[in-house]
Amino acid sequence: MLKKISRYLKVWWLMSRNSFLGFLTQRFGAVIFLTGKLLRFGFFFIFIVFLLKGTKTLAGFNLNQTIFFFLTFNLIDVVSQFLFREVYRFRPLVVSGGFDLVLTKPISALFRSLMGGADVLDLITIPPLVVAIILAGRTLNPSILHSAYYIVLIFNSLVLATAFHIAVLSLGIITLEIDHTIMIYRDLTNLGRFPVDIYKEPLKGILTYLVPVGIMITLPAKAFIGLVSFKGILVSFALGILAISIALRFWDFALTKYTSASS
Amino acid sequence: MSLSKYISVFKISFVQEFAYRLNFVMWRVRNVMQIFLVFFLWDSVFSDPTRQVFGYNRDKILTYVFGILFIRALVFSARAVDIAGEISRGDLTNVLLKPINYFRYWFTRDLSSKALNLCFAVIEAAILFLILKPPFFLQTDFRILILFAVLLVFAVLIFFGLLLLINMTPFWAPESGWAAQFLFMGIITEFLSGAVFPLDIFPATIQKVLQFSPFPYLLFFPLQTYLGKISLSSMLGGVLASAVWVIILILTLNYVWAKGMRRYAAEGR
Repeated sequence: MLKKISRYLKVWWLMSRNSFLGFLTQRFGAVIFLTGKLLRFGFFFIFIVFLLKGTKTLAGFNLNQTIFFFLTFNLIDVVSQFLFREVYRFRPLVVSGGFDLVLTKPISALFRSLMGGADVLDLITIPPLVVAIILAGRTLNPSILHSAYYIVLIFNSLVLATAFHIAVLSLGIITLEIDHTIMIYRDLTNLGRFPVDIYKEPLKGILTYLVPVGIMITLPAKAFIGLVSFKGILVSFALGILAISIALRFWDFALTKYTSASS
Repeated sequence: MSLSKYISVFKISFVQEFAYRLNFVMWRVRNVMQIFLVFFLWDSVFSDPTRQVFGYNRDKILTYVFGILFIRALVFSARAVDIAGEISRGDLTNVLLKPINYFRYWFTRDLSSKALNLCFAVIEAAILFLILKPPFFLQTDFRILILFAVLLVFAVLIFFGLLLLINMTPFWAPESGWAAQFLFMGIITEFLSGAVFPLDIFPATIQKVLQFSPFPYLLFFPLQTYLGKISLSSMLGGVLASAVWVIILILTLNYVWAKGMRRYAAEGR
């Protein structure tokens, strides 16, 4: 098992290095793209600050808490983009039949399709984001237990994000549509930019349990503030395991529908 | 200028939008989801109906949110986003050889996209209206409605000018068209036009600085006019500023296009 993990880590490192070299060939475009991402973050941050200055609270949360929700959303969003950027490049493989070459290689086709090209631009933004989360988190005076809850729930969020990305890949094989599906996933997670408590039922319920944006993004931040019980954490883990199991079965099913057209 | 060929371009472009139906439906779904975020955010802020924040009451802010849906469909829908790819692939040559004005050709294609998106926006707004049952501010002053319509026409022209300018980036940086589009159209225009949040949450100084840019005249200013949040003289000032921006953009566009044409070498063909 350890040998297998080590082999996959080596393959991942190799693919990530290739992705980095690809990035170096488009330096100008990449710098503009990164500037855009930072500006979007900055605009939303400024918006939250000015909005909360005017309203004092948002769905019962104060400025520091709302900023913490926003930073948590960004962390999960950026880390999943860093790890799963290859999903955005999956469609041409299926449309051209080039996916045949992935299937014949002695590594998991899912691993290659999901994690075959880590995004350097997102990697650059992760360390400052973590620092910002630590600084913002300190203003909320969390207990050690609540901080631990936060960290394990972030891992659970990444499991849910993985399940979403696997589902998008699977849908891509069946329908040949990836671009908008992945952007709809992004739009759904964007609904978690603010605590899901701002939404009314039934949307709030849908976003918490059916499309678990709430569990993915709002719950870790709420646990940090001390608003989630141990039972709530267990339920969220159960949902994470269920989501990844369904996604993996869906992937197996999608593979049976791959026609190798155009190859 | 023969109008019939542009009518043909309009018809063909309109039909082409239906060639990728799933793509189009997904694109509209995304628009509706973005409205959900903004709607519920403001609905939460104005949960107390008597509350006034940033000069808005509940009716006006939720009308602003629905206004975003319409104005995005009218102003921001465009096919001219494909120009950058056309230049970098060398496909521009195909169009240059045809007896058609390049700018008018793309403007016509944009109009067909706007017509289709607007039709869908009306249906979506009706459905959202039935589901969310928001209060709605109905403007009844005929003078304001005329100024609102004029501002929308200018907004369409300003957006077209900005989009074309950004799409000419590949004349000088063939691989960076997508990145320039993301930065200027996807981020800067989106935020500074008021399509994500109303610009009057900013301090007065920032708002004054933004007034000297073309962005607020794309969405924020027309909506301020519709909501009657500014005086009639300010509205007229906004119409004048929009007209000036249209002229500046036309002149800049012609200049950049002429420079780009000298640079264009049809690489990739």
